[in-house]
Amino acid sequence: MNSPFPKSTSVPGEGHLVAKLLPEGISGLETFTYQYPLKLISPSRPSEDESVLVFLLSYGGGLVAGDQVNLKVDVRPKAKLTIVTQGHTKVFTSTSPDIVTRQDMHVHIASEGALCLLPDPVQPFAGSVYEQTQIFRLEDNASICLLDWVTRGRTARGEDWSFVRWVGRNEIWTIPTAEGDGKTESRERLLVRDAVILDSNRSHPELATLRDSMHGVGIVGTLLLRGPLVKSVGDFFLAEFAALPRLGARDFRSDAAKQAAALAHSTPREKWRAERLVMERDSKLLWSAANVRGCVVVKFGAPEVEDGRLWIGSMLQEEGSISHHFGDHALMCVR
Amino acid sequence: MTTGKDPIPLQSHEGESDVENEIAELERRLAAAKAKRCCSSRSRVELSSLLEQPLSRPDLSHHFHLLLSDSALPLGSFAFSSGLESYLAHGHKSNPYHPHTSFAAFLPLSVSSYASTTLPFVLSAHRNPTLSNLAELDDAQDASIICTVGRRASIAQGRALLGIWERSFSPSLSPTSSPVSAAARDDLKSFALLVKKGGGSKETPDASAHLAPLFGAICSVVGLSLQQTAYIFLFGHVKALVSAAVRAGMFGPYQAQKILAGDTVQELITEMIKREWETRVEKAGQNVPVMDLWFGRHEVLYSRIFNS
Repeated sequence: MNSPFPKSTSVPGEGHLVAKLLPEGISGLETFTYQYPLKLISPSRPSEDESVLVFLLSYGGGLVAGDQVNLKVDVRPKAKLTIVTQGHTKVFTSTSPDIVTRQDMHVHIASEGALCLLPDPVQPFAGSVYEQTQIFRLEDNASICLLDWVTRGRTARGEDWSFVRWVGRNEIWTIPTAEGDGKTESRERLLVRDAVILDSNRSHPELATLRDSMHGVGIVGTLLLRGPLVKSVGDFFLAEFAALPRLGARDFRSDAAKQAAALAHSTPREKWRAERLVMERDSKLLWSAANVRGCVVVKFGAPEVEDGRLWIGSMLQEEGSISHHFGDHALMCVR
Repeated sequence: MTTGKDPIPLQSHEGESDVENEIAELERRLAAAKAKRCCSSRSRVELSSLLEQPLSRPDLSHHFHLLLSDSALPLGSFAFSSGLESYLAHGHKSNPYHPHTSFAAFLPLSVSSYASTTLPFVLSAHRNPTLSNLAELDDAQDASIICTVGRRASIAQGRALLGIWERSFSPSLSPTSSPVSAAARDDLKSFALLVKKGGGSKETPDASAHLAPLFGAICSVVGLSLQQTAYIFLFGHVKALVSAAVRAGMFGPYQAQKILAGDTVQELITEMIKREWETRVEKAGQNVPVMDLWFGRHEVLYSRIFNS
């Protein structure tokens, strides 16, 4: 007697997802459990089958003070999983700074498995206290694409980095493959630990307030990439970063010469890049990309949330390999 | 010197002889005061020498405190501006975020960010300067510096410090009489070997020699207290920033010394040490996200005078 509804675990906020490769060669879910306030939904008749799609939701559309979400994800060999959200993850005000709202995710990706996690940004309300820890343990040739971003809050209500505390920590580890051939490195190894701690508590009056220290940025984000399926998108970010115009360089060409050069953008890529650079300048978006121990780390910040979304969406769409490997649904939160 | 035209009103009505008398009186008092000073300073010397014997052996930790806090310590710190140059470039009028850059605004942000990302590594290495902990901290820091420019700066200075330890400090410490234990030296030696060997993969080298953990370990080994070590480390960062600002032409050397001597810097460093005293390295992180952007975008500056 199989219930059509996924089983519930008994601990509040706990969830477990296992993605595996089905016999017909497409990815599907083997286990799929969750408990209030966490909610998971997977469309029963997906329109795309490059990867299995799961919506990560919470009841009421946000996390109430003191909510603890603890999601465990396993991606079996060669399976591809995409996790998205439906709108900003709202973090509601805490009645006391000791009441921490927490979201933890522990992900294990087996050999040649892949996870694409491009959610909407987290939107912490004034007075909220939030900590998020996401730990990804990757076997050989596993791939991860992860976006972690946070906004200044509800601007319509005048919120501007008005929360008490926001902490986001992401770790990528390599681990030995389950059925090891003995040749691979036998211990777990931390590749990247990216942590952002935004705290309204200034420990010294000389220090800028949290809002001032953000320097007008309304959204900050980090994209982490590792593994064969996201190698080309990682290389793309590094190449585009290297191709950025030098800051402080002067353009001595005449307007006519500039126009001629603009027209000479022969390839669509060059045209796209020229447009993107204008958009970056107009929206005051700053970004950087670096290769850290075999992972590509992209950091960006922009005054307007939507500009940040447009930018990351434009980059990922232009490169195209995320859609190719995970399906267009993987990009639904960044469009 | 004193005449009838003496501007001091009290004396203006007095006669010649009164003035002569007054001079004589003042001279007498001066002589008496000089004699008194002479006596009292002699007695002070005698007193202090009674209380404090000259050291029979040099105080090693004091000596190394001076060495390690010296700006002349060849770490090459002058080559790095810790994002200051990029911050200034981004504050240009074509500027995305901030039309007004100021050192007074940058300094506390930079110290806070440096303390929040890096100080826990210094503290942990000082508390436990063994080879295994040092190597672990070095690896963890390599994983947590998420920008090329910052990594370059940290490794360049760390390797320079390791070189100073290997070539200068370690050989000059007497193996028998110095309080530095053989085990501590062996640990640092093995760590240096690990760095030289360059083992591990290209992605994840066995050891990189980042500045913070090495600084903590070396200070610990030569007997500096945890508090001293943390203070020198953060003050070194401030000194490097101030010197970078001087080189970038933001202000001159007197202003620089004024900033360094000021209460603000002292209090800031003390508060930051207090804030990070208990922070575990796994919990360290960036508290000024735009710092990462400025730091990372040092790469896209057209002209650069610093390596970071």
